[in-house]
Amino acid sequence: MTSAAELAWLIPVLPLAGAAITGLGLISFNRTVNRLRKPVALLLISCVGAAAVLSFAVLAEQLAGAPATEVLFDWASAGSFNLQMGFRVDALGAVMLSLVTTIALLVMVYSDGYMAHDKGYVRFFTYLALFSSSMLGLVISPNLLEIYVFWELVGMCSYLLVGFWYDRDGAANAAQKAFVVNRVGDFGLLLGILGLFWATGSFGFEEIGSRLADAVAGGSLSNGAAVLLCLLVFMGPMAKSAQFPLHVWLPDAMEGPTPISALIHAATMVAAGVFLVARLQPVYAPFPQVQLVIAVVGTITCFLGASIALTQMDLKKGLAYSTVSQLGYMMLAMGCGAPVAGMFHLVTHAFFKAMLFLGSGSVIHAMEEVVGHEPVLAQDMRLMGGLRQFMPVTAITFLIGCVAISGIPPLAGFWSKDEILGQAFNSYPVLWVVGFLTAGMTAFYMFRLYFLTFEGEFRGNDAAVQAQLLKDAGKVAPGSDGEGDGASHGHHASHPHESGWQMALPLAVLAVPSALIGLLGTPWHSRFAGLLDPQEAAEMAEHFSWAEFLPLAGASVAISITGITIAVLAYSLHKLDLASLVAARFPSLNAFLANKWYLDDLNDKLFVQGSRKLARQVLEVDAKVVDGVVNLTGLLTLGSGEGLKYFETGRAQFYALIVFGGVIALVVLFSSF
Amino acid sequence: MPLDPAVATGALGALSDAPATVFPWLSVSILMPIAAALLIPFIPDPGDGKTIRWYALGVALVTFLVTAGAYLNGYDPSVAGLQLIERVEWVPDLGLAWSVGADGLSMPLILLTSFITALAVLAAWPVTFKPRLFYFLILAMDGGQIAVFAVQDMLLFFLSWELELLPVYLLLAIWGAKKRQYAATKFILYTAGGSVFILLAALAMGFHGGGTPSFEYTTLAAKEFGTRFQLLAYAGLLIAFGVKLPIVPLHTWLPDAHGEATAPVHMLLAGILLKMGGYALLRFNVQLLPDAHAQFAPLLVVLGVVNIIYAALTSFAQRNLKRKIAYSSISHMGFVLIGIGSFSALGTSGAMLQMVSHGLIGASLFFLVGATYDRTHTLQLDEMGGVGQKMRKMFALWTVCSLASLALPGMSGFVSELMVFVGFATSEAYSLSFRIVMAVLAAVGVILTPIYLLSMLREIFFGKENTELASHTKLVDAEPREIYVISCLLVPIIGIGLYPRLMTDSYRASIEALVQREEASMARMIPAGRQGLIRQNPPLALIGPGVEAHQPLLVAPLLP
Repeated sequence: MTSAAELAWLIPVLPLAGAAITGLGLISFNRTVNRLRKPVALLLISCVGAAAVLSFAVLAEQLAGAPATEVLFDWASAGSFNLQMGFRVDALGAVMLSLVTTIALLVMVYSDGYMAHDKGYVRFFTYLALFSSSMLGLVISPNLLEIYVFWELVGMCSYLLVGFWYDRDGAANAAQKAFVVNRVGDFGLLLGILGLFWATGSFGFEEIGSRLADAVAGGSLSNGAAVLLCLLVFMGPMAKSAQFPLHVWLPDAMEGPTPISALIHAATMVAAGVFLVARLQPVYAPFPQVQLVIAVVGTITCFLGASIALTQMDLKKGLAYSTVSQLGYMMLAMGCGAPVAGMFHLVTHAFFKAMLFLGSGSVIHAMEEVVGHEPVLAQDMRLMGGLRQFMPVTAITFLIGCVAISGIPPLAGFWSKDEILGQAFNSYPVLWVVGFLTAGMTAFYMFRLYFLTFEGEFRGNDAAVQAQLLKDAGKVAPGSDGEGDGASHGHHASHPHESGWQMALPLAVLAVPSALIGLLGTPWHSRFAGLLDPQEAAEMAEHFSWAEFLPLAGASVAISITGITIAVLAYSLHKLDLASLVAARFPSLNAFLANKWYLDDLNDKLFVQGSRKLARQVLEVDAKVVDGVVNLTGLLTLGSGEGLKYFETGRAQFYALIVFGGVIALVVLFSSF
Repeated sequence: MPLDPAVATGALGALSDAPATVFPWLSVSILMPIAAALLIPFIPDPGDGKTIRWYALGVALVTFLVTAGAYLNGYDPSVAGLQLIERVEWVPDLGLAWSVGADGLSMPLILLTSFITALAVLAAWPVTFKPRLFYFLILAMDGGQIAVFAVQDMLLFFLSWELELLPVYLLLAIWGAKKRQYAATKFILYTAGGSVFILLAALAMGFHGGGTPSFEYTTLAAKEFGTRFQLLAYAGLLIAFGVKLPIVPLHTWLPDAHGEATAPVHMLLAGILLKMGGYALLRFNVQLLPDAHAQFAPLLVVLGVVNIIYAALTSFAQRNLKRKIAYSSISHMGFVLIGIGSFSALGTSGAMLQMVSHGLIGASLFFLVGATYDRTHTLQLDEMGGVGQKMRKMFALWTVCSLASLALPGMSGFVSELMVFVGFATSEAYSLSFRIVMAVLAAVGVILTPIYLLSMLREIFFGKENTELASHTKLVDAEPREIYVISCLLVPIIGIGLYPRLMTDSYRASIEALVQREEASMARMIPAGRQGLIRQNPPLALIGPGVEAHQPLLVAPLLP
């Protein structure tokens, strides 16, 4: 009987086939295919579903102890030189396969409800399937080269999906920004891959790792050069996983439809960077400097994301910065040499963050009934509040997500985050302090989001706030110029409603792993670590002692509870007025956070305006100097040409004659050599 | 050091060894479209040009089938030497012969030519002005271009190279946009000025060494030119082909010519004409003058990098759509230069693939520019915006082709650029520092390309609909003919992207023989132990550190 691992290539191919069929249909028979909404959705959902079944079969095999499988073929070749492609199935890949297919499947079901009224329903599903295929391809890539291929493809899908509502300027800019910032990372990744290939003659992870270490040990490659190559490769994950300073694209990418934010920009694609670093552990492990850089970048990102999330008023942006922060935790784990802990947090985070985003989508979907299809209004928490009474399923699942991410036992986030903090405490105590404080901030901002959105009074019908928000965004309120105002609001409901089953079901399903999956990774008996790295799991279980675990865990829980308490006091009981207490006293700090550390402005001034100016100058040089010389020559010869043209009737003969004459003369000269 | 005869003739192989083909595939594919073009004046036509365009399409398709037949029946990809040879004495005193043949360098480009021309005829469907002359010129060009790639005699090459100018000049000057006269004149002056050097070099090489002059590639390749002679000839040819490719700063004819040409001419210019430069560099500069190439190659690499960055920046600043894409072509040709200068089979193979790939992608983008212009009647990006609302299929086609152009994996551009990168990075001809600097600079192009292409997409299609534009033009979505043309181009683009050996295997043997010849020259020209900023220091210490572990891969010439 063929094993599931041998069929693993089907996992990315199935969704790809589905996407290809509908994509071709869209181009050839646009109207017809656009009308076939349900059949298309069903086809693509079953493709991803089949991939999910296969993925779980693969995972089951790996759990039963099947060895890693690798299949390769020659893709491009010149001489004895081959670039190989293929697929590889191992425990790490199997975990990611199951995770990606599960969340993709749930997001697709959810999208059926969320995108029900969108003109681009079929196109959306096609992109979703295309993305799933690319992401699954990335996961089963056996070497760096193939990773790079799929790396770019998921980037392209992200571009297409962020820019899905292409009539919105914000979406257009965000899509381009996402792609270009990622290309900056890919620039380093590409050079790093080339350099590693030059140094080791291989694209495979283990081979690169062992040969690089040999080369450094043998003295043929300096340690500095090896570190540099490793760091160049790390630029790729920095961009993809939104690590400081290349995180700037991720919050903007929230312009895309919310299911995309859940699937791509929270659970899967942004985790690809972390996944790649995990894959590259054999390469990175011998270089402590590289590990340190990764850990520091992760810590900065983790702190930066959380600090900006403190002041966000846009629900999705708040979650986006939270994602940035959590990705920072995962990188910190990688830097501490604890890939298992990082991967575990990746898995738990994927579940609860996907749920949180889908929950926010449910909220936005409901808010649109009240305030209309204007993201500035529908996503702003100043217009929300009290939504729990209208949409209980969304509220409860969102609350579960908040508890999970805050690190309250026994929910998922506690186990994974605590393991990372424990590793950091052992490796880099300074970074642990930052991570520890960030945990408190996380608890605070998440509950701030929850209270502002779901508790208190509903503020959605406050016209004054709406007008103010639109004004701040520089947009004109629809129909604000006079009589249209009342009429346009007449269409809207006065309060939001709970979303349909397509949206509620995935939320409920995701709540289960968000709550419970952490129990697979308890430090005294981690089944997760047992799958990825049995040796380490055994060591962990052996060295586990309550005396070490309890103080650290207790501290984490304590700071989380502190954060939650402040949030409760400030946003639920209104005992604490943070606006006057903190924001008014430290206006510069508040502005610093509200302006996202001024990084976007810096980027704009330095890189966007800078590159435009440089390009304009080069064009000027091209037009005036380079072309100017040509035209000047032309002008000078024109005088003689005017005189000569009477000799000949046509330019061609004239030129041929001159050429021939000249040639005869020069041949003599030439043949003397 | 005496030449090893096998290496000296290299990829050219020996004429006598190859069996003569029964059917003159190449002569037919050159002469048939020209003969058919001459018949155009006698074709009855009601005056609207409809009969003629069907006729032209038919001829172009048959030509494509003939070249495909040549590939399938008479061409063996595993042979490095010349195939499909046909030779008839023409002017024996001058040593001039009708000598055609194809090896790995020519065959892919011959196929590309007939393929793109057939699609260009289909793209020219809306052309109604002077249809007889238009299709006459297009078909004449078809034959002429195939001749450029197929002839095996340097004088014949010069003739077909020149023959090419006239149709392009007329196509530009008659069917162009407002500044067409200026653009056409500039084009012909540039190219003609450059081709003086071809003739000079051809004559000099032909008469070199005395005896009966001969211009055939095989004879020329067997001659032993002095180093100084090689360098002079190389420099001259580099200017001639540098105009065509184009190499910055000889490029300024291109934005003008491309900016003024109509869509089908545009497709031919970008799809085929630029490739003549790259082909000729490989054929003459590398194959016939390998010693000079060993000296000049670093310059090619530097120029390639300049091309990539300089043209990407100018493209970014351009506000005119056609000129933007024209500059992007220049940028992409930079990879051809790096590949040719890379001294590795993989890199040279990548250069070849980049030519084919850009031929397909460039043609598709220029076709889309034309199709968009037919609707918007403007090429200024400032006057567009939000066009995607009405033209959704067009938007999709544009997106796919732009992504192909920015070297997205899964499409041919990625493979060729990757091969050039890997080939150059692992090349042993250069010092580590030179390779690092050049690879880093070339990789900057990886960032710049999406910036200008995606900005362009954003400015044309994204955002709110431009009411002014929508009010006075009718933005009709893509029609089936247009979708068909793009699909035809996308099939090979994606096919090569998914499995590059479809294309690379067809010229692999020739490229490998060529690179062997390069390396033999390199060994002669750059003595061991010579150190420098650019050249590799031969002691093993500085070659890749992993060399000992996998010696065969890096040290052996990358060829069997």
